[in-house]
Amino acid sequence: MGFFDNLFRRERQTSAQIAKERLLTVLVHDRVKLTPEMMAQMKTELSEVIARYVPEAEPGEIEVTLLHGESSDYLKADIPLRRSKISH
Amino acid sequence: MVRVITITSGKGGVGKTTTTANLGTALALRGARVTVIDADIGLRNLDVVMGLENRIVYDLVDVVEGRARLRQALIKDKRLPDLYLLPAAQTRDKDSVGPEDMIALVNQMRTDFDYVLIDSPAGIEGGFRNSIAGADEILIVTTPEVSAVRDADRVVGLVEAAEKGPPRLIINRLKPQMVSRGEMLSMEEVVEILAISPIGVVPEDEAILTSTNRGESVVFNQQSRARQAFSNIARRLGGEEVPFMDLTEQTGVFNRLFGMFGKR
Ligand SMILES: Nc1ncnc2c1ncn2[C@@H]1O[C@H](COP(=O)(O)OP(=O)(O)O)[C@@H](O)[C@H]1O
Ligand SMILES: [Mg+2]
Repeated sequence: MGFFDNLFRRERQTSAQIAKERLLTVLVHDRVKLTPEMMAQMKTELSEVIARYVPEAEPGEIEVTLLHGESSDYLKADIPLRRSKISH
Repeated sequence: MVRVITITSGKGGVGKTTTTANLGTALALRGARVTVIDADIGLRNLDVVMGLENRIVYDLVDVVEGRARLRQALIKDKRLPDLYLLPAAQTRDKDSVGPEDMIALVNQMRTDFDYVLIDSPAGIEGGFRNSIAGADEILIVTTPEVSAVRDADRVVGLVEAAEKGPPRLIINRLKPQMVSRGEMLSMEEVVEILAISPIGVVPEDEAILTSTNRGESVVFNQQSRARQAFSNIARRLGGEEVPFMDLTEQTGVFNRLFGMFGKR
């Protein structure tokens, strides 16, 4: 969901709903207790593993986020792939 | 057998001292023998909230350091014969007492009382750790605000790590009209977010301030909505099943929300 979608959605929400979403997100971070150093280390190790299987993966471009979801919370990793000529 | 119960919160100013004083009074009114302990060393407050500030001779640190016996330091309430206060030291710093001292202190009370309530200082440092060291049970107070709930979540984690059993939640200063307009987190939402079971909800009530001004418990103010809330918490502590407050006369929506909760 993009920045503007978020902005518009927030406008329609009551302040209590916004408070709840913000709380749930901040608590995912608080509860997981990942330090910035651990996060960086995890990304490096992830890159190494993924590169072994997917050579197109861009090392160093991995983005890891913590998200609050309906039934559970998520650790989400986005790994961009280089586009080769063949795939076009 | 005494039950030692610490009232804590993480964030300051959410109502720990108010809850300790009023819950202590509500329990004593129901015939229990109660001592409330002010564990906020250096920031003594519980004495003024209870209107006992002029009677203090000795304090908690005097007892811990052997200058006074517990009996000499306990201050009897103005109205209730079985309610006592052990005041905090005002001129000492927080480090004058350690967790072992607190455990030894409450152990001295095991035979003569039914309840010992400990008013915790804000924060999650030494003072907080002292206040939970001797506790059998923990009550966590929060207001329905983002920062207070976040801090309460931290405390839930620390209490669980200290193996004190599952803490129970008091939601304070709830404004039913704001909840019904969607401008304040509801009791159910706070309970869902923190995932601990609630033992009470206390509405925002001006009578808290007027009672505190006078140094009296709001539990003696028959018109007050907070009075009922604290009495209900006292009964739930005693094991009674009391439905969460029905404030029908004030607001219809509030009633419906709590009606839902009570039936679960
Ligand atoms: N339910 C309530 N309604 C109105 N005022 C309240 C309520 N609970 C607490 N207060 C007020 O909030 C302030 C902080 O409460 P206090 O009990 O001293 O918090 P804490 O001990 O957590 O720092 C006090 O001025 C108190 O009178
Ligand atoms: Mg206080």
